[in-house]
Amino acid sequence: MTLLIRHALLLAAKDMRIFWRDRFSLTFALIFPLVFAGAFTLAWEEEDEPTGAAPRLTVAAADQQGLPEDLVTALTDAGWTADERSFEGALDALGQGDIGGFLLLPADFGTAVTTGSEARIRVVVSGKDPTEAAMLESVARTLAGRSETVMLAVRGAGALAVVPDAEQLSAVSQLPPLVSLEVRRTGERRYNPIDFTLPGYLTMFVFFVAALGAGSIVLERETRTLERLVSNGVRAPSILAGKFLVATGRSLTQLAVLWTVGVFALSIDLGASPGAVVIVSLLFALASAAFGIMLATMVDTMRSASSIAMLASLTLAPLGGCWWPLFIAPDWLQALGRLTPHAWANDAFNRLMVFGASASDVVPNMLTLVAFAIVFGAIALVRFRLSPPT
Amino acid sequence: MDTYLQAEALAKRFDGVAAVDGISFVIRTKEIFGLLGPNGAGKTTTIRMLSTILAPDAGDVRIGGHSVIHERDEVRKRIGVCPQELALYPELSAFDNLVFFGRMTGLSGRAAKARARAVLAEVGLEDRGGETVKKYSGGMKRRVNIAIALMNRPELLFLDEPTVGIDPQSRNKIFETVLGLRDEGTTVLYTTHYMEEADRLCDRIGIMDRGRIIAVGTPAELKRQVGDPARTTLEEVFLRLTGRKLRD
Repeated sequence: MTLLIRHALLLAAKDMRIFWRDRFSLTFALIFPLVFAGAFTLAWEEEDEPTGAAPRLTVAAADQQGLPEDLVTALTDAGWTADERSFEGALDALGQGDIGGFLLLPADFGTAVTTGSEARIRVVVSGKDPTEAAMLESVARTLAGRSETVMLAVRGAGALAVVPDAEQLSAVSQLPPLVSLEVRRTGERRYNPIDFTLPGYLTMFVFFVAALGAGSIVLERETRTLERLVSNGVRAPSILAGKFLVATGRSLTQLAVLWTVGVFALSIDLGASPGAVVIVSLLFALASAAFGIMLATMVDTMRSASSIAMLASLTLAPLGGCWWPLFIAPDWLQALGRLTPHAWANDAFNRLMVFGASASDVVPNMLTLVAFAIVFGAIALVRFRLSPPT
Repeated sequence: MDTYLQAEALAKRFDGVAAVDGISFVIRTKEIFGLLGPNGAGKTTTIRMLSTILAPDAGDVRIGGHSVIHERDEVRKRIGVCPQELALYPELSAFDNLVFFGRMTGLSGRAAKARARAVLAEVGLEDRGGETVKKYSGGMKRRVNIAIALMNRPELLFLDEPTVGIDPQSRNKIFETVLGLRDEGTTVLYTTHYMEEADRLCDRIGIMDRGRIIAVGTPAELKRQVGDPARTTLEEVFLRLTGRKLRD
């Protein structure tokens, strides 16, 4: 086991050394994403000039008591202009194009939550402004998630036969709000485009570099360096582990450099849970590294490895929301995007960095990225070979 | 002389076609054994089986008393392999290549560096070992390819067409290196398409064709099979035994 690890580390160290010495690879991996993200950020900024006003969110709430009011207050506290309207008023505004959509909290929403029965938040959108629709949907999801916690507590109490009477419910309503909404969209602008362009191009180029790494494995197979290592006593699992380590190492280098530049030079906002951004990044790096190794096991020549790596990277990037935020894409594209690790990573980044979601909101994204890494890795493990086809 | 390598009924098939068809031969300790044959004769497949890279379908080989099937790790400690491809990293210097492969054979960092310096001197690259291999000429790359195989001080060295496409000076240096290794006690299995090279270097020669060994002997013994050894060339022997028909 010690020998296996030693060989894997030596192999990875050698490959990392080659990576650091290759100016083109470094430029491609580290400079290109910044150039692309910068250029597209400028494009987004021109398209969406800052209004100077606090972000607006229209809420139509029939019930002005209890939880909905807490939520509206929480929104206001979080820096939004909570535009409270009646349902009819909101519909009129929507029809006249004054607003792009609104959240509808039904009359019984507060009671439903505090009694543990079904409660629905509706998002009503015109369909003309996909960005606003996505924003409303994201806020609704966050509200639903927080409300669910309260409902679970109430239901739990019910299951324990603690049936609250009207007086107790009233007492509960006097307690400090159980739900506090943390939405970090404050300040002058609705959003900073770099908050979704940088993660988009980061995922694209992390995946691209990992996929192109397949070519170097195929080249080593063609030049028989892998066979030579075997004749030196190195076992195939060490080689596989070494290649996986270096692919992950390259991705982590990209992530470290790009996030650092993003935070300190481009003022990107990692949101309320920067730790979750880091975890999602790491998991995406693992999935990408596993994809690169898997690709190397599925092609015979260096040329086919490069072609497929390029094709896969340039196809999966737009599908996965790297070139534009997936939340403004049509539903069918969003559904198709779910087949790519990019989409799960970008969705998590958007939720965390643009819509102020918490780490728990992106756990499904994290688990899906783990699943991608496992599937790609398992295929690589089964199909890995050291020699070119005879 | 003692037998260092003994192959018994060694066979390998690819897609139903016999690449190596039950060959048996021995290589004696401290000899240079040449394995000659036209393209597709099975030489490289044989070397890959002897060097534990490819598992034989049938038969076995004992190297230094150890089976390539059952004692692969023991065999690997004793062999050095120089494939006909340039199995190295052009982006690294020759020195770094040697240190890397040396460490993979189990040498410590310090020991690998010391050994790398010695091996670079052995192949005549001591002054240019710090340059990246991609800047080297074809002959220099070939010498690095051989040098890598020497890092673990092998008892048996496999050299698969080590002089393809290089200038006479580099070829001559490789000859000197190989003969020097033999004199120091290394056993060498050498494949080549250059008959005069085999004639000059090899103590004994095995001629392979269509997966079989069709003749084994010293260059003089082989020449005697077709005529006067003083007037016959090894190429004439080779063409007489394998035929003049093109193989690819």
